[in-house]
Amino acid sequence: MSNESTAGPSGTESPQPHALIRGLTNDQRDLVSVSAILLVVVVVAALASGGTFLQPGNLVNVLQQNVVLFVLAIAQFIVVLTSGIDLSVGAVVALSSVLFVGYLDFGVLPALLIAVAGGALVGLVNGLMVVLIRLPSFVATLGAMQIVYSIAKLFTGGAALHASLGGAPIPDAVTGFYDRSVLALPYPTLVFVAVFIAALVYLRSSVGYFLYAIGSNDRAARFAGLPAGKLRVGAYVVASAITAIGGVLFAARVSYGDPQAGLWLPLDTIAAVSIGGASLTGGRGTILATVLGVLIIAILNNTMNLIGISPTLQPAIKGLIIILTVFLYSRRGS
Amino acid sequence: MSAATHDLVATGSTGWRRIDVLARNGQIVVLVLLAALGGLFEPGFFSRLNLSAIGYQYSVIGLIALGQFAVILTRGIDLSQGSLIAISSMVSALTVPSLGLPGSIAATLAASTALGLVNGAVVAWTAVPAFVATLGMMGIARGIALTLTNGNPVPMTDAGFHHIAWGRVYDLPVPFLLFVVAGIVIALFLSRWPLGRHLYAVGGHEENARLSGISVSRVKLSAYALSGLLSGIAGLIVTSRMSTGHPLSGMNYELESIAAVIVGGASLFGGTGRVSAVIAGVLILGVANSVINLSGLSPYLQGALKGSIILVAVALSQIGLRSGRGRG
Repeated sequence: MSNESTAGPSGTESPQPHALIRGLTNDQRDLVSVSAILLVVVVVAALASGGTFLQPGNLVNVLQQNVVLFVLAIAQFIVVLTSGIDLSVGAVVALSSVLFVGYLDFGVLPALLIAVAGGALVGLVNGLMVVLIRLPSFVATLGAMQIVYSIAKLFTGGAALHASLGGAPIPDAVTGFYDRSVLALPYPTLVFVAVFIAALVYLRSSVGYFLYAIGSNDRAARFAGLPAGKLRVGAYVVASAITAIGGVLFAARVSYGDPQAGLWLPLDTIAAVSIGGASLTGGRGTILATVLGVLIIAILNNTMNLIGISPTLQPAIKGLIIILTVFLYSRRGS
Repeated sequence: MSAATHDLVATGSTGWRRIDVLARNGQIVVLVLLAALGGLFEPGFFSRLNLSAIGYQYSVIGLIALGQFAVILTRGIDLSQGSLIAISSMVSALTVPSLGLPGSIAATLAASTALGLVNGAVVAWTAVPAFVATLGMMGIARGIALTLTNGNPVPMTDAGFHHIAWGRVYDLPVPFLLFVVAGIVIALFLSRWPLGRHLYAVGGHEENARLSGISVSRVKLSAYALSGLLSGIAGLIVTSRMSTGHPLSGMNYELESIAAVIVGGASLFGGTGRVSAVIAGVLILGVANSVINLSGLSPYLQGALKGSIILVAVALSQIGLRSGRGRG
């Protein structure tokens, strides 16, 4: 993990850090930069929208609309941490949404488990392709994306799924999920908090620290005796299982299973993860900064909608964000 | 990884090397076997209609595979090809009323080459990895293509444009000829032209290439520009075929171009590969695809099968390449 002392930056390339952040760890510095970006984005959003952005209704809206993205970014971060990238997130959302709706005949919980198992299976295949065959992750997951979309369409016959396979309508427990709350906390937010805590526990465990190790230097980690292959496959499985939970949330939000969902999710999640300061070459980043990164993307989306920028331009802006943030972060000292 | 180029054209042939040719052209053997099987089990396989369909679809893939090959040679990757096809499609349909046919083609190719150059500039001059730079461009180009008309397709109004995809010269479809010509030009470029040979050098060992006086950034810029240019030509063919400029065209084509290059025996880690084998790789995918199409399976099952074949083929090539390198 990147907790090295910053007392004296010995590398000639790394600039002398500003007095404000001297003495902080890399992770803390990243958190400071992401928070600064977030602050700027909030101010810009408030000004550009003439104050509409800051209205409580809109703020709740931003969070509610992006719960799926929050969950998925955590999954993407876990893969990115191992120096991989997961382009199949959108397809896994599509697959898990149709599996969930399709198997609601068995009850909500079994359907959820089937959807998550389906997602985990995709993650297993991704991980094995990356570890055993040593395919670059973007090739393996790009291929998986196509296959998984096809399987999702095969499952529904191509159309969206508005009822379970047995023909039963989607129960209220699912369609009303987004409208219910406990102690003013909406259910979907609770799911996000649960996923966040689980991921935090995972990454703070010894396994998590090993993931940082194999992400920053795979060879060194292997020489140190870490089972890098197993850990990496595990990371893909965990990530895709989390993605599937996001897919079930998506199905609950729109009240159907969509075999074509999530076209832009790879771009969205990678933009969020990279703006959150995670290194796309692995081994660096924190889950908290990733969540702030999602917040930045979510606010940008919301503001663009509020001020009437065409939604078709949004992929372009996210593409730009990915390149710019990776470029800027590539210049930071390590 | 050795920087040696495995280019038969360039190295010439000695007597014993001919025996080796069959082994080193495994792709062509696979291709012939696959086509024979196709003809045996699917009566429609060798029909004129089917061959034309393969010829059209895989000329498009083939053109971008040649560009992808140049980029992969430098140890890069271009994930933006499908989006560049889309933007080319939109630019050609939108500019044809005002610029006419030649002007519109020029504008299209200029636009796609310029975006390829942007990819190259980011990869050559910054520390941004190639897959990040071109993933970003995937979003940027697709977003612009969609925004130009708010996501709506644009009818292609010029009648002459029709010939790019549908025309025939000596009974050969124009797209196929474009693919063949591009293949020959790029084979000569890679084997005879210093800049072309430098692509191998940069991919084989970038630091060595730089120390031998090669301008690494110039080499990378040209590889990505070439990929952009070829994506532009592919975009023209797609537009002509549909008589429509469509912002969603070319979706996921980069996967097939990457697969064709890898099936053609190039390494994703750069520095090795031959144009002839890449062309064979394109045709292998085309034939496999056609057999699946003729099989009458559900189109969604076909999609899953095609994706699996691509991944298995890429996986086998990667494994074969590794073991081959171990022996050599």
